[in-house]
Amino acid sequence: MIDPKDKKGIGNLDSPDLPFDYSKREYGTVPLDHSNRAPFQWVSEVSYKNVHRIVVRGYDTTELMEEGYGVPDVLFVIYQSRIPLEEESKLLDYVMIMALEDGISAPAAMSRIVAQSKTFLTQAAGASILAFGHAYGAYVAFGTRLNKYLTQSKEEGKSLAEVAELLVRENLDDEALGVSELMLKDPAAKRMIARAEKLGVAGDYIALTKEVTKAAQKISSKPVDLDMLGATGATMMDLGFTPEAIWGIMGCTRAIAAGAHFIEEVERVPYSRTGQMLTPREDYDGPEDRAVPDLEERAKNAKPAQTQTVDEWKKAFEERKRVNGSGYSIVEEIEDPSEKTGIKKVGRYAPQHQNI
Amino acid sequence: MNREPFFRRKTSISYKTEEKTVLRGYNLSDIAEKGYSFSDALFVLFQDRIPTENEAKMLNYEMGVFIEHSMSPSAVSATGVAMGRPNLPATVAASVSTFGGVHGPGAAHGYMLNKYLERAHNEGKSVDEIGKILVDEYTDVGQPVMGMGQPQHTDSDPRAYPIHLKQEELGVGGVYLQLQRAVEKYFHARRKQEGRSYVGVNVVGSGNTALCDIGFAPNAAWCIGSVCRGFSCAAHALFNMKKGRAWGASRQEPMVQVLDLSMIKYIGPADRKVPKQEERQEYATKQKEEGEYKKWVI
Repeated sequence: MIDPKDKKGIGNLDSPDLPFDYSKREYGTVPLDHSNRAPFQWVSEVSYKNVHRIVVRGYDTTELMEEGYGVPDVLFVIYQSRIPLEEESKLLDYVMIMALEDGISAPAAMSRIVAQSKTFLTQAAGASILAFGHAYGAYVAFGTRLNKYLTQSKEEGKSLAEVAELLVRENLDDEALGVSELMLKDPAAKRMIARAEKLGVAGDYIALTKEVTKAAQKISSKPVDLDMLGATGATMMDLGFTPEAIWGIMGCTRAIAAGAHFIEEVERVPYSRTGQMLTPREDYDGPEDRAVPDLEERAKNAKPAQTQTVDEWKKAFEERKRVNGSGYSIVEEIEDPSEKTGIKKVGRYAPQHQNI
Repeated sequence: MNREPFFRRKTSISYKTEEKTVLRGYNLSDIAEKGYSFSDALFVLFQDRIPTENEAKMLNYEMGVFIEHSMSPSAVSATGVAMGRPNLPATVAASVSTFGGVHGPGAAHGYMLNKYLERAHNEGKSVDEIGKILVDEYTDVGQPVMGMGQPQHTDSDPRAYPIHLKQEELGVGGVYLQLQRAVEKYFHARRKQEGRSYVGVNVVGSGNTALCDIGFAPNAAWCIGSVCRGFSCAAHALFNMKKGRAWGASRQEPMVQVLDLSMIKYIGPADRKVPKQEERQEYATKQKEEGEYKKWVI
């Protein structure tokens, strides 16, 4: 162990502005916590396992399958801690079929691009899930919004039609509206809603979404109709899934088909090597080709970024907007509307259940 | 609205127009409307065929038992990623990406079975004979036989054997189940003969065998299994996001958190002084010559 005093005099580390004395910092790791805090354990209310069982929400998974339950049933157990009605299970099966494949849209494209690098399939399937955001696969944004306006309807005594119109006026051009020009000729979204109604599972969310569709058709300057985001999101929420759960379930469902795209890409397209891909000159619209100045001439050519007044800053800021890829011309503060409460006290000792 | 594809590909999986999405020739919406299951749709996706009812039941069973496995690398990674509070898909992507050579190596197991079946075909051997050869060849060189053993379920994975039984009950056992059964028979016999402990079949050994017998290629089977796990890993991540502490290091929690500083056990080089720049060349040259650093290279 060296003497911390030896460390004095390194760079700025003697500065009195530092929040503590850097010359006296200790080496070595923090000892194990022997206070009365409980030791770390894997805390879960979803599942546990032991040597002989795997148990999800209290049900042994092998026993679930031996009793003839299906994958959609298990998803209800995982996310909602309940056995669904047969009609609910049938409807989730329906929704998952519809979510399985979407041609070469973002998830399949991601999977295929990763496949070209000669990777594990799982790496590509994982990448396909990363394509789900707040525009493509915007289930959490869509569902959170429905919750907000449904709450408003209940608390303020407004009809669904009234809050639907408000929702549309405030979010008409949003990618997560669930109503768009995407499915004017494809009846699949409306068929899903009809199936939910036929199975007797349609509830407040589908009712609100139908009102949103009507309002959007009235307010929008172009023809619009219910799209797959709206149909899937509303149906899944009437099945009792949270917006976040829908995001996860839909992402995984599509990733299975993205795996098929991975396989086909490997089967039909050669791998791509490092440095292989060219970017055609005709696609480039940046500065003309120019000589790199000699290092000795750096001071003459370099342009410092610092500005000292607000006016200088504004001028520089506007100039920088002209540099595509610099980030100055966009404001991209994407808010994740997912519910993240971060409730404290998980893992406390409880008399009846020591590891909750 | 621009609806041009990201890039063009010849594909025999699907196409999508303004009117419909078509999977292997079937309108996806019609598959759902006619009452087929998600399991049925996976046969269409990967195998271009409608399965028998029992094949679909087998797939459903395999996915159902595989979907959740509590504290495993996939759930741990989903939870770990969730601690930083990214968007949920990042946690699910991480969980699916954990499936590799050890965690759920379904493709590798399938390729192993295919390789030895091919040899049986070429060398005129029975499935039973090639099963023994497989076990002997792996064991002779100290390689683990894929599909056998699970570090947590030491008496055999509780899902594994029931999958074999379900495959037989549904009448969807084929040459893969024959080979897997032979592998297990000779594997157990050899370990017993060598005085080694019992190691049971795992869920890859049984589940992947079933998937192979119902027509899924090794990578397709791996895809189904590993992505299926993502369904439950999303729930584990959400549990952390909605009911757990972000960062996992708070000292306000009554239980020591996974990223508490006290959880670090350091076994690397001893604390040492950062050399001055003036000493750098001499220091670095000596360090390189002594070569002690090499034992830390990873």
